[in-house]
Amino acid sequence: MSLGTQHDGHGGGVLGDVGDVVSVADRVRGAIETVIEGKPEVLRIALTVLLAEGHLLIEDVPGVGKTMLAKALGRAVDCSVQRVQFTPDLLPSDITGVSVYHQDRSEFEFNPGPVFANIVLGDEINRASPKTQSALLECMEERQVSVDGQTRELERPFMVVATQNPADMEGTYALPEAQRDRFMARVSVGYPSPQAELDMIDTHGSRSPLEQLTPVTDTAEIRSLVDRIQGVHVAPGMRRYVVDLVNSTRTAPELKLGASPRATLHLVRAARAHAALEGRHYVVPDDVQALAVPVLAHRLLPGPEAQMERLSAEQIVAKLVARLPVPGPR
Amino acid sequence: MRALMPLAALVSMLAALPLLGGLVRGGDWWVPAALLMAATTAVSALYRLSGRNSLPVPFLQVFAAALLFTPLFAPGTGFLGVVPTPATFGHAWALFEQGVHNINVSAAPVVPSEGLRMIIALTFLVFAVTSDFLAVTARCPGMVGGLLLALLVVPLTVDDAGLTWVQAGACAAGFLALLATDMWVRSRSWGVMVPDGPDPVSRFNARAVRLATVGAAASTAIVLALVLPLAVPSLRTDAFYTMADDTQFGSGDNVTTTHPLVSLRRDLASSSDRTVLTYRSDSDSPEYLRTYVLDAFDGENWTMSPVYAGRDSGLDDVLPLPEGWEQDTGTPVTTQVSLESDAPRMEFLPLPYPTRSVEVSGDWYVDSDTLMVFTTDTPPTGFSFTAESARTEPDAEALAGAGVPRSLSRDYLDLPRDLDESVRELTDSLTENADSAYQRATALQDFFTGGSFTYDLSPPSVPGGADPLVHFLMEDRIGYCEQFAGAMAIMARQADIPARVAVGYTAGEQMGDGRWAVSVGDAHAWPELYFEGTGWVRFEPTPSSSRGQGSASVPEYTSGADVEPAPIPDTEPSERDAPEPSETDEEEPRPAPEESGSAEEEPTEAAGDTAGGAGNTTGMPWQPVVGGLLGGLLLLAAPALARGLVRWSRRSALASPGAPGAHTAWRELRDTCIDLGVDWSLTESPRATALRLSNLGRDGTPLPADVRAALWRLALAEEAARYAPDPAGGGRLAEDLGTARSGLAAAAAGGDRWRAVLLPRSLAPWRRPRIEAAAAPAVP
Repeated sequence: MSLGTQHDGHGGGVLGDVGDVVSVADRVRGAIETVIEGKPEVLRIALTVLLAEGHLLIEDVPGVGKTMLAKALGRAVDCSVQRVQFTPDLLPSDITGVSVYHQDRSEFEFNPGPVFANIVLGDEINRASPKTQSALLECMEERQVSVDGQTRELERPFMVVATQNPADMEGTYALPEAQRDRFMARVSVGYPSPQAELDMIDTHGSRSPLEQLTPVTDTAEIRSLVDRIQGVHVAPGMRRYVVDLVNSTRTAPELKLGASPRATLHLVRAARAHAALEGRHYVVPDDVQALAVPVLAHRLLPGPEAQMERLSAEQIVAKLVARLPVPGPR
Repeated sequence: MRALMPLAALVSMLAALPLLGGLVRGGDWWVPAALLMAATTAVSALYRLSGRNSLPVPFLQVFAAALLFTPLFAPGTGFLGVVPTPATFGHAWALFEQGVHNINVSAAPVVPSEGLRMIIALTFLVFAVTSDFLAVTARCPGMVGGLLLALLVVPLTVDDAGLTWVQAGACAAGFLALLATDMWVRSRSWGVMVPDGPDPVSRFNARAVRLATVGAAASTAIVLALVLPLAVPSLRTDAFYTMADDTQFGSGDNVTTTHPLVSLRRDLASSSDRTVLTYRSDSDSPEYLRTYVLDAFDGENWTMSPVYAGRDSGLDDVLPLPEGWEQDTGTPVTTQVSLESDAPRMEFLPLPYPTRSVEVSGDWYVDSDTLMVFTTDTPPTGFSFTAESARTEPDAEALAGAGVPRSLSRDYLDLPRDLDESVRELTDSLTENADSAYQRATALQDFFTGGSFTYDLSPPSVPGGADPLVHFLMEDRIGYCEQFAGAMAIMARQADIPARVAVGYTAGEQMGDGRWAVSVGDAHAWPELYFEGTGWVRFEPTPSSSRGQGSASVPEYTSGADVEPAPIPDTEPSERDAPEPSETDEEEPRPAPEESGSAEEEPTEAAGDTAGGAGNTTGMPWQPVVGGLLGGLLLLAAPALARGLVRWSRRSALASPGAPGAHTAWRELRDTCIDLGVDWSLTESPRATALRLSNLGRDGTPLPADVRAALWRLALAEEAARYAPDPAGGGRLAEDLGTARSGLAAAAAGGDRWRAVLLPRSLAPWRRPRIEAAAAPAVP
């Protein structure tokens, strides 16, 4: 509904809103960059996912700043951040929280778990048992927690940033496709450039810059931005382009499993946020192209031929994007 | 290997040389052509052995040919014997004119002059260079077939005898050899031949299949070649004989429904050797054979009044007396005519005038006024008839003393009222000092034969809007018998002499033994003038001999002889009768001198024009050359013009606000890129395209900042037009487009830039980027 009303008033109003998005995003970006240097691409995706109300999967080796990224994001926005270290013995209630019986008051009191936060950092999510994983993933999808027959809403914005270590797979429970699908995007942080690493020694040498990070916005502003982003225009040709792109993953012979309709929705939402971050009130193919790999690749399963050719899902998505004509003049 | 294709191209061109064998007499006309072609081929083959880029080959070939040209055609004029100098070009020009004249006046087969040999050699040189380029550089040996076709057409159009099997076969064999060599060279580059099969049987089968395929393709081509022409309308070759009932001035432009000029010219120019009829005559100098009489002039054409085939006009033993005759005073001359069986049918008999009787089988009628003998049936071909005519030698004295025509219809003096006044002034000035009708007639004839007119079977066309008669008399003075005869008849009528135009044949060529042969090239038209007491008398204004209608003859009585009132010998009469025009006989006609007083401005102007026209005609036929050059340039410029038109048509759309303007600008940018050979991808978004183009500077450097900015603005405009809900548009699209275009062009290589101008690829729809079928998955 909100989309409809905002759409009617397109034009200058929307453009002004988008201007807000850019200024807020620039502030947040600037704040985080004092902590994590030389990773504008990852930052951009992270912001996009935050504004598109999605969840982010960071897949990388330890020590490259995955946790730092999540923390910096939470602090810059001035919202609550909870961290869960996933281990094989972690239970679902360790995430959602438990009701504890107070004998003096003779009643159950709910102790909220770490999921009750704006940004939840799930470290090494693949180390927990599937049961625990699915508890978190349920919260991610439904944005609510049901404990003891009582349903509790999670506060917006709600974003799960989960990390995975791709190198050490022993004793892990890999996320099944169905659960990977719930993450809007997957990125890998990667090692910093030598120069960034040098700078890091200086800034991180004495004291943590994270502590010096002061909030530049708040959750209320983020919520309003999220609402406004729903008004970013997606031309019919662009909708068709997204559908064609997602569909091409289903028909591509290199892929055993294509992207789901949820992927289509995620891609459109992310593209809207991406366009707004660039100060545009309409989506262009470049938004979709920039997001195709992070949004689609982790949902796909390459077929045996692609594996033989050592084609990763990222490469296949890039190839599909390069093959698809952009929507032409109306 | 590399030298093989040039040699094959040479073979194909050499094999085409015999095509001209039927048109040129003698054995050595092909030597210079063959020498030049061999030299250019040697240059091409040697250069290609070096393995370098083959683009300079044509230039090297032309250079080699230029060096060889001087000793071949202009010995002694070159620097060091080989380097062409201005004198060489002068000599070559003279030779060229000689060759053109050779072609114009002689009929096939021609005894080649040096000039004709040069023209043939140069033609083949051009063809050899072109075929080398097509077959070797461009690797399209099939295109050489077009050149060979052009050569094949020459003997087929010029000579009705067509081609012999040997000529056509040699030409085809040379072409096939070229194609086969090309295939062989191509297949060699693939490496070793794979055998068709493991055992002899399968190898034999594969070969049989291949042969069958080739045979099927070849027989399909042959069947198509034989069947298709039947379905296509073709030209009649006998058009003149069935339709020649009018005569025109000028040429092509004024042709109405019938087309006698072209057919007449064609017959004259092409196959004068083909005999139409032969006859045996008592007389040593037989009269012309007259077929038609054209008595009405409508301003452009001489036409024939209808003739009646009725009971009372049937052909009797004796024909009516010719007009103006009281009694038959002539010497009887018997003429036995046999028409060739392959000559066109003749509804009107060619007869010497005045005919007294005709012995011929079938239903024939006679027109009593003109003594034309004709039939309404389809006449047979190859029949014979005997005609008796009354030969008279009109003497100049009698003609000079002829009074005013009494018994003749006034129709023979009729002229259109709107005839151009300058013609009458010309007639008046020519005849102003002539006392009698006869003197006026000879003055007119001398005007035409005096040397200021040029006989040409293919005169340049009359410019649109010009009066063909005035153009012929005043401007270019080029024409053939029809123009001469028609113009003189008109001027005679203006000088109060009854006149008409006769069409038929000259006496032809004597074969000895009293027999004469008349060929197609002897077709002719001449004026007949009426003198009281003598009747209709033939005049001959068309230049005769080698520079004119070869077998025409000027009647003795018209050149005056030694008769008192008539002015004396040959060209003198006009000098005495009309002193002013006489001096023009030598140089150029000046029809109205200032003293004549009747006209102040016009005549001098006319004289000036005439002088200019004469100057043009004495030089080489520059108009066709210039026209050809202009046409060629226009042809070359046609793609560029079309591209310009496309760009121009987008100009207004560019200014329009919103999406259409942006789309138009973007399309124009796309076409520019395609023209320049820059990739254009449909899978690229506008801004990605702009970014890529921005880095297309020379040697991988970015383009200038202003060009990049312009490209970026164009991309954003297009992007907004495509995807935004409210494309703003406007801005400086046209300006940005100009900046981007010039920036891209400046960054392109020189060759690409020229190609973009001369051969814009964006005009070709298949050059535009297209969505591959596989790339666009259908949404269910």
